[in-house]
Amino acid sequence: MSGINISELDKVYDSGTENVVAVEDLSVEIHHGEFLVLVGPSGCGKSTTLRCLAGLEDVTDGSIRFGDDDVTDRRASERDVAMVFQNYALYPHMTVRGNIGFGLKLSTKLTGDEIERKVESVAEMLGISELLDEKPKALSGGQQQRVALGRAIVREPSVFLMDEPLSNLDAKLRSDMRTELQELQADLDVTTVYVTHDQTEAMAMGDRIAVMDGGVLQQVGAPEDVYRSPVNQFVADFIGSPSINLFAADVDGATLRGPGGFTYELADPEPVAGHDRVSVGVRPEDITVVDAGQNTADVTVVEPMGNENFLYMEMAGHELTARVAPAVRPTEGTHVPFDFDEAALYLFDGETGDALKTKTDTVDSAVVGTTED
Amino acid sequence: MREQRRKDAVWRFLTYAFVITMVVVMMVPLYWMLVAATLPQEQFLQFPPRLIPGTAFLDNFAALQERLDFVRTIRNSVLIAVVYTLLSLVLCSMAGFAFAKYEFKFKEPIFYAILATLVLPIQLLVIPLFLLMAQLDWTNTFRAIILPWAANPIGIFLMRQNMKSIPDALLESARMDGATEFQIFYRIALPTMRSSLAALAIILFLFQWDLFLYPLVILETADMYTIPIGLAQLTGFQRIYYDQIMVAATLAIVPMVVLFLVLQKQFVSGILAGSLKE
Repeated sequence: MSGINISELDKVYDSGTENVVAVEDLSVEIHHGEFLVLVGPSGCGKSTTLRCLAGLEDVTDGSIRFGDDDVTDRRASERDVAMVFQNYALYPHMTVRGNIGFGLKLSTKLTGDEIERKVESVAEMLGISELLDEKPKALSGGQQQRVALGRAIVREPSVFLMDEPLSNLDAKLRSDMRTELQELQADLDVTTVYVTHDQTEAMAMGDRIAVMDGGVLQQVGAPEDVYRSPVNQFVADFIGSPSINLFAADVDGATLRGPGGFTYELADPEPVAGHDRVSVGVRPEDITVVDAGQNTADVTVVEPMGNENFLYMEMAGHELTARVAPAVRPTEGTHVPFDFDEAALYLFDGETGDALKTKTDTVDSAVVGTTED
Repeated sequence: MREQRRKDAVWRFLTYAFVITMVVVMMVPLYWMLVAATLPQEQFLQFPPRLIPGTAFLDNFAALQERLDFVRTIRNSVLIAVVYTLLSLVLCSMAGFAFAKYEFKFKEPIFYAILATLVLPIQLLVIPLFLLMAQLDWTNTFRAIILPWAANPIGIFLMRQNMKSIPDALLESARMDGATEFQIFYRIALPTMRSSLAALAIILFLFQWDLFLYPLVILETADMYTIPIGLAQLTGFQRIYYDQIMVAATLAIVPMVVLFLVLQKQFVSGILAGSLKE
């Protein structure tokens, strides 16, 4: 049982003619028992980072520690980690029993009976006891997924690594397994690093999430914090569904001037002082349709979700999305005035994308509940 | 509609006719061999030829056994082919695994060099190999027949191509489970390759079973002869013992048939099915 300390990790692939930097200067501290989700678009280095943790890839530079042990140069089998692969990688010629027990057979001195008992108790925990004598090809996707989990759990590792384990399941099963995985992880109290490209999954599952882009760690934090206080435009854009509305605006004193005659008076112009051009960001749920106002957009599509409506609008060629109450349903093609609260406004540096201002509104306590830390 | 059905029927008739013709063309010599093995020499040569099996098989076999000790010849061939096949399966699958799944220096050049040896005909290799075996003092031994061909390039190529289809995640998963590289090879890779190994076993067995020129040069005494050499001995200067040749030829195909029937069960498709979720 241990936390993980990744320090200044670099991973460079030498492809003969050129070097490809997959992970650059990554440092993160993962607490014991924590569920950390590595999230980012494909090719952002999240899987490579996980494979470095697993010992399946050599580290170019930097160090990895599990608890007090420096495991940087240790082989995968000597790290006391277990990994669940995206496509499960079950041994096709072995039964479920053989698959789950394989690691114990190879890496422990347990007797056959002891292994058998452990395999059976894990199978019971996962509800696959009656499948123990089946071969993987006879199982459904969800059952294969459980076997893959069982194979990781049975070894009682100090660290779990999961590489998009739910991405091959259908939507219903995925959300069931999501909850089940979290419960399982909480019960076992094992430090877990979970990779996904799905930000909803990251938000839903992680104690903390680490957002990566282009091999560089952008931000680590509790899902709520990352959502409300992204460090830059990339994180703001990546986290949240539907994504944040972003458009460029010129700074004119305390006034923001955007496309199509968009203007917005800042009560507090301090964050934009010294900037000529900024990116304006507004979350869809913060846009409200008002009776009259100086900013307008054309409604192109209305998607009724039942509990809320999504409005897709256009402002001088810029798409805007608004999440509004189900009662608000303007006809498509109409011109509607909209507004938002300055407290809900995000502002980013026009060139670097660094955050100048993030949400400062208060969160409804019914939404937040209690946080763990 | 009816027009189409008639067309289909004609097509089916033609297809069946073609297939049946080909089967007959291939089966007739085999049938003729079986019949001839049961006839005394005189009846074999009569015209029109007799197509009904006779009763002289055991007499013919006894004559063959007396001339050549054919049982021993078969035993030699089986021993050589079995040892060769097992050894070569091990070497080819290990080499194939390495070429398919590991990165090492000069991997590609080495692989193409091995493939390049395929262009060398056996006839070209017989003399140099004989000289080598003579230097080793290995002439007239079975190991001289087995070892030079043990690393079979076709086998290495076949195993490399098939091992490439094993998903890396499967091997990595075993690595995480604490398997050594050799355990990964024989506990994960080999079992998933059963059908390829069965196919390769037949190729290798047949290669060694049919080898003629090379053993003819290496094997000097009659007690070491393999079947192809034994058969060749039956064509004398004065007389060709057709009856005995046919008996010998019939017996020579029996082990091949047995091997095929045994391995046929291994040709199960989709052994990798269920390992990965697509």
